[in-house]
Amino acid sequence: MEIFQHPFLYPILLPLASGLLCLLLPKILSRVSGWIAVIISAFTVYLVWPLFMSEPQTLDLIANFSFKVDKLSGFILLATTIFGFLISLYSLGFMKKKIYQNKYFAYLLWTIAAACGALLANELIILLSFWGFLGFTLYLMIALGGAQASSAAKKTFIIIGATDSLLILGIGLVWIITGSTRMDGLAIPLNHPHTYIAFLTFAIAAFAKAGAMPFHTWVPDCGEKAPTPVTAFLPASLDKLLGIYLLARTANDLFVMNWAMNTLLMVVGATTVLLAVMMALVQHDLKRLLSYHAVSQVGYMVLGIGTGIPIGIAGGLFHMLNHAVYKSCLFLCTGAVETKTKTTDMDKLGGLAKVMPITFICCLIASLSIAGIPPFNGFASKWMVYQGIIDAGKSSGGLWIIWLAVAMLGSALTLASFVKVLHATFLRKPSAEVKQNTIREVGLSMTIPMIILAVTCVLFGVLAYRLPLNHIILPAVKDTVAFTGIWWAGPATFLLLVGIIVGFVLYFLGNKGKVRMVSTYIGGESLPADEEVTGIDFYKTIQDINPLNALYKMAEKNFFDIYDVGTKFIFLFVEGLRHVHTGRLPWYLSWVVGGLLILLIFLRS
Amino acid sequence: MLLIQFLIFPGFLFAATIGLVTSWIDRKVTARVQMRVGPPFLQPFYDIIKLMIKETLVPAGTSKWFFLSAPLLGITAVSLASLILWRVLLTPSQTFMGDLIVLIYLFTMPAIATVLGSFASQNPLASLGGSREMKLILAYELPFILVLLVPVIKLQSIRLGDILLGTAAVHSISGVLALLVAILCMQAKLTLVPFDMPEAETELTGGAYIEYSGPPLAMFKLTRAMMLFTLPIFLMTVFWGGIPFAQGWLPLFLGILKYIALVVIMVLVRNTAPRVRIDQAVKFFWGPLTIIAVLAAILAYLGW
Repeated sequence: MEIFQHPFLYPILLPLASGLLCLLLPKILSRVSGWIAVIISAFTVYLVWPLFMSEPQTLDLIANFSFKVDKLSGFILLATTIFGFLISLYSLGFMKKKIYQNKYFAYLLWTIAAACGALLANELIILLSFWGFLGFTLYLMIALGGAQASSAAKKTFIIIGATDSLLILGIGLVWIITGSTRMDGLAIPLNHPHTYIAFLTFAIAAFAKAGAMPFHTWVPDCGEKAPTPVTAFLPASLDKLLGIYLLARTANDLFVMNWAMNTLLMVVGATTVLLAVMMALVQHDLKRLLSYHAVSQVGYMVLGIGTGIPIGIAGGLFHMLNHAVYKSCLFLCTGAVETKTKTTDMDKLGGLAKVMPITFICCLIASLSIAGIPPFNGFASKWMVYQGIIDAGKSSGGLWIIWLAVAMLGSALTLASFVKVLHATFLRKPSAEVKQNTIREVGLSMTIPMIILAVTCVLFGVLAYRLPLNHIILPAVKDTVAFTGIWWAGPATFLLLVGIIVGFVLYFLGNKGKVRMVSTYIGGESLPADEEVTGIDFYKTIQDINPLNALYKMAEKNFFDIYDVGTKFIFLFVEGLRHVHTGRLPWYLSWVVGGLLILLIFLRS
Repeated sequence: MLLIQFLIFPGFLFAATIGLVTSWIDRKVTARVQMRVGPPFLQPFYDIIKLMIKETLVPAGTSKWFFLSAPLLGITAVSLASLILWRVLLTPSQTFMGDLIVLIYLFTMPAIATVLGSFASQNPLASLGGSREMKLILAYELPFILVLLVPVIKLQSIRLGDILLGTAAVHSISGVLALLVAILCMQAKLTLVPFDMPEAETELTGGAYIEYSGPPLAMFKLTRAMMLFTLPIFLMTVFWGGIPFAQGWLPLFLGILKYIALVVIMVLVRNTAPRVRIDQAVKFFWGPLTIIAVLAAILAYLGW
């Protein structure tokens, strides 16, 4: 069995087997399962490292069973396993007292295995199998959130399952068109309705996985109900990596794009950016708010890939990586807050900056990153997407102006939303529920992943070209990317730091650092203790403006939820058929006999 | 070298000095409108120095370092913006790609710093002021971005150097519309009346700045003065040919005159208009101004 010694198979088989082991462990040893997950996921990173470094290579086990790694899948593979490791480490602290530890870590390892499989697949059928398995583990992990999570899990499973079925259809079409399902040989020109349908099914599967509109509605539900590390790992990082991987594969390799399809991608991207961030603006629950941002940011990635030119695609991929970094960081910070305060409702938080300084600083850095403030990483990738949109616009139509304006406005709205988060959670006066003097910073196994991610935000922004772009992103794009005079992130960051230090020196020179703590001044009045500005209704003014208020009301009633609309439609459709199911045995038997009769009549000839 | 440029010219010290001079113009013109004599030339400098030697007060229960860093964040960002902008003006051919976008972000930073600082104050009035400031940012950012795209559409570049060297946008209908919208957005960016609801002395007693005193307050005041200088120059660079240094004395003189004209327009508006409510401001920027901005962008696309 020398076939099993191939480096491609270890990252798939090892987590799969150890996941099974975790599941079989007795309850008493549940702490062990966590350590198994940490060690195995760290070891998987070690296993995929040579694949990431290697030149593109293929492995043909038997006919139609082929694996391949290239620069694109290599870097996503590495990112996936690193996130897997960080989340395992964090979960060690988060899951300490939960009863479902064994199951959780088993599913986590299976997810890593299936993700590696999907990324390494060079055969659409293999990709599809792992893809389906990922949907399954996703369902299981969300369902760990208990009874309240079951409807979210079901919704996720139906949306992901339905789009996976579309993917099957698309693969079938690809097979009809080309007679092959081998991925590295495909480059289908879009010239026939069949090819369009095939492309659309692939794109829809990618959209649903990544959470782009209109297939996004599972993300906020899942974010609110599932255990926080699950959200940090799946919808926030892993599913983005996989969804955008499929989209990039589809748009760059499997199909040859044309103007219409690129424009379609841009429309989806721009709509996602704007509408999701408008929804995020009015949320009260921290996790739900973050989930809407997880949807909104996908828009930038889709926009980048939709430009169809190298710098835009590189920007989209870079943004995918950056998003995974800062969004998991934000979710982990939320998890830390949740562990200490037992709530993620922003009405009931506040004043945590003083007692949880590490969490606050990590959250601040990640917030500024997601809002695209220079010099953090979000700025670098968004800037590349903008440049891509402008370059693409030179050759085709005036629509690029809309995409650019939407993308830039999206950033401003994102910033507004995170300003609200920082205010309500960390900065304002603590609410009555928060006991400021009993709350301490979370433990090391939880802070280390947050710090690593926050530092990565800074590094990927300041050394954008030298570190991630040069070594990871640009090799993954087929054509060479023209970079002329990138903005000087390094010097600018240095100057910003110098400015702040000089400022503190000036403070000191002015009055010898004399600082006096005083109580706040509220027009000379003393306010009762329960009187406070929670900050969650900051954007009520915007919500109340015509015609936005009508749209928000419709959104609250799930009018734009493809799942809700879909189920209503289906119930309408099957209403007649429901009456047939009376539950009486003779009735069913007569149906069976009737069916048999019809079959016989048809088969007679 | 870069550090010296950043701290002295054309960064912090330069922008602060001219900014304070500009704020003297502001105060003098305001005084004349109100039939007063107005302060002496050096008054803005005395004010800052006086604040620098006063005691620093910090509200109890907040994160002290964060409360004190917020003003520095704003002043550093505007210094950096000034540095980048003046490098463009002095050597238009040697700027980096996408500096326009960097500048847009840097010019938002002082407002963000105000918002974060006000939130760190743990004062309900400051919270209200901060939230108004944030809503104001949202409101004006949409038309502001749209009109900044007008020269980008015309010249197909987001390098400020290219925009400066190309034909100034103001020589076309779309450019004039864009400049008008941009001036109104600038009024809001500087939180001057009629868009001063974040401070709103009469109802929020200083709002966002209510808990600040001594050196941190001096930093906020300096930031505002520097913005008062840098923002009009930015608009002139984008729409109106900037301040030309290489074309002899007359264009240079005209450039300075244009700058003073922009400042005086802002001051006159702020002295003759009443404050609007925040929802009115949001409606104003997202309604009529955005429509005009879209119109300008379409006209620019059509080549007008």
